[in-house]
Amino acid sequence: MEIKSFMQKLSSHKGITEVGLIRKSVVKFNLEKEGSKDFFIRLKDDFGFEHCSLISAIDNQPQFELVYHFSAINGSVFVKDSSAAVMAEIHIFLERDTPTVDSISDLWFGANWHEREAFDLMGIYFIGHPDLRRVLLPEGFAGHPLRKDYVYEIHEEEW
Amino acid sequence: MWISMGPQHPMTHGLWTLKVKVDGETIVDADPELGYLHRSVEKMGERRKYFMNTTLTDRLCYASSTTWTHCYALSVEELMDVEVPQRAQYIRTIMLELQRLASHLMWAGAYMPDLGHITGALYFWRDRELFLNLLELPSGSRLLYNYIRIGGVKRDLPDGFEEKTERILKLFEQRLDEYADLFENSKIFRMRTEDVGKFTASQAQNLGITGPNLRGCGTKFDLREHDTYEIYEEIDWEIQTREAGPGYGDCFSRYMVRIDEMRESISIIRDCFKKMPSGPTMASNVPVRATGEAFRRTEDPRGEALMYVVGDGSDRPYRWKIKSPMFTTISACPYYLKGYKVADIPAIMGSIDICIGETDK
Repeated sequence: MEIKSFMQKLSSHKGITEVGLIRKSVVKFNLEKEGSKDFFIRLKDDFGFEHCSLISAIDNQPQFELVYHFSAINGSVFVKDSSAAVMAEIHIFLERDTPTVDSISDLWFGANWHEREAFDLMGIYFIGHPDLRRVLLPEGFAGHPLRKDYVYEIHEEEW
Repeated sequence: MWISMGPQHPMTHGLWTLKVKVDGETIVDADPELGYLHRSVEKMGERRKYFMNTTLTDRLCYASSTTWTHCYALSVEELMDVEVPQRAQYIRTIMLELQRLASHLMWAGAYMPDLGHITGALYFWRDRELFLNLLELPSGSRLLYNYIRIGGVKRDLPDGFEEKTERILKLFEQRLDEYADLFENSKIFRMRTEDVGKFTASQAQNLGITGPNLRGCGTKFDLREHDTYEIYEEIDWEIQTREAGPGYGDCFSRYMVRIDEMRESISIIRDCFKKMPSGPTMASNVPVRATGEAFRRTEDPRGEALMYVVGDGSDRPYRWKIKSPMFTTISACPYYLKGYKVADIPAIMGSIDICIGETDK
């Protein structure tokens, strides 16, 4: 499937807004939180994005934003006359008092620890994650240090 | 029974713990644990100006610091819309490939003692020192170079760099042939590495394994070509793959991919010197502030490195996210350890080339 028809199919999908190209091989769009899991299943099975590159969490004050990067390794979506591998950049916005989203680690195992890291450092809860523990910080650490309202001086005194 | 290997264990190559569940000698389950080296690089980066962060990125991985600084510089240049001069791009490519050689040699040297071959470490590290000397010539330091900056490189290559490089590359090519006799054709080495730590290409893609470990399954995927940067488009080179069987790889195929990549790096460096133009090595007018968001990914010696930078109009990044290839590769270790013996753990975990600095960030 060429990247243009991929983008057309995305625009007609429910819950997707602002489909655009960043570079010639990177498609960027926003996704609604509700029903995101159905779309991710489609992204993996129908569009062939085999590899979950990264999940980053951003504290936009007051909102949280999740940015997913997926890449198609075997070229089921491609750019014409180019060897560039197509990527999808997906933005999901979360409310501050309910930072929860469906986990995708059952679809891509590579997303498992990225979700754990987003939980550890930013406090995003992934519903359905098999093992949502802290990964970088020790068990029992208070707070989520990459949040902008985290006060780290207090923690220094405690130690 | 659960056995804890680490945080201080000859197998670990850095500080991390691998808990393995064993049934007799066979591994049933595994649980890797990280965080012993967590330095909160992302948080520190938010408090520093864009150009200051190049010293932080150097410290992400002591075995290949230039590639991480380059990934950061590339994504910030994308964010700030900076055009890097041609000559700087060639110099960067030379530095990246020299670093890839040094990093693969570091890995090979660390892998040999894992298999009980102490002499191998000395051989490979002797050669690594040659490339560290080369990297030291333009940058001035042995491990943490801070040579690639946002908008170009710190200074031009010194006089006589090409001749010195060529002399070392020639010597190293002979050594690679010697090593082929010592390791590839050694029955003991192959007994330890063949048919051990197997995973298929489709498994590896789902598990998030990239880089030489993925190419060791026969998948032709290299970001130098598939998300090209600098001047890799203008240079003739080929993606090195190797597979142990149809669509799967073992420790030996991963070893061979890295050896083949070293030969490819040598020819890329030679080609760069041939085609290198003269001119400035730093972009004029590199902005201090940035707005928006950008990401770039590069082919680190260990796999896919991705940096995602968000700017809010100030002179410091609002959010800076690092994707480390080893983070996901280690997370997948229960999948490729299961079913093997405890004595195979050093051979398997050594073959995926762990660097805990970038993993723990």
